[in-house]
Amino acid sequence: MSTIRMVDPAAVTGKAKEIFDAVLRREEKVFGAKALSNIWRCMGHHGEYLEANWNRSRALMQRGQFPPLTRELIASAVSVANNCHY
Amino acid sequence: MRLGVDEAGVTELMAVAEHTRAMSALAKGLVLLPDIPEPPAAGRPALVALADPERIEEPARSLFGEIRTFTREALGMDRIPNLWRAIGGNPHYLESTWRKDQVVMAAGKLAARDKRLVALGVAMNGGCTYLIEYQAAILRRAGCTDRDLLEVMGVVDHYNALNTMSDGMQIASDIKPPS
Repeated sequence: MSTIRMVDPAAVTGKAKEIFDAVLRREEKVFGAKALSNIWRCMGHHGEYLEANWNRSRALMQRGQFPPLTRELIASAVSVANNCHY
Repeated sequence: MRLGVDEAGVTELMAVAEHTRAMSALAKGLVLLPDIPEPPAAGRPALVALADPERIEEPARSLFGEIRTFTREALGMDRIPNLWRAIGGNPHYLESTWRKDQVVMAAGKLAARDKRLVALGVAMNGGCTYLIEYQAAILRRAGCTDRDLLEVMGVVDHYNALNTMSDGMQIASDIKPPS
């Protein structure tokens, strides 16, 4: 049960829609997602924040020197250590 | 499961995560000052006395021999890191922890270097100065640059942001493993 409603990706327009589309394309590629994940949907309430986090995600998770697997391993281990269920 | 990591690989990853978290608790609990690459200039190096490798008895003596061999190779250093000396006063603690460290950090489904990068990330996440310096020194010796260390920091930073957000918003997990 979430604290807030998830933004419906079909209901957004403009910049937020572009970002939602780009995130879903990446999620399809990385883990075969069919629909946009909740963590990104909830950021849709605040378009500039969504954009800021998407830019950071690309900068930190997609543009490094390590293979993508290495970064995902670190990310998973940190999330486990932080007891983050998501 | 994504990116081709199977159950055995995930288990190895969990092992690195929990082992590094446990070692961070140990290093922080014993108030260990970083001694890698250089011994601390001043101050008490740890809460407890450090075991003296020249005077210690078996079986800790043989374990210190193994640790010294590892340290020469991985850190280019001809002394035993204070973390291991600090628990040397309890040979069972030393032996079980050193053996576990070898098992957990060895290459398996995951590459040894990736495990070391993960360990650095978990140490950074826990703010454990001793282990950050320890893992970073091993990685630098293996060829990692400042840019590489920043890449680990960036992932840790970004996932702290996402974890805080998903916890704060209590977002239900909607990412299921492939059936």
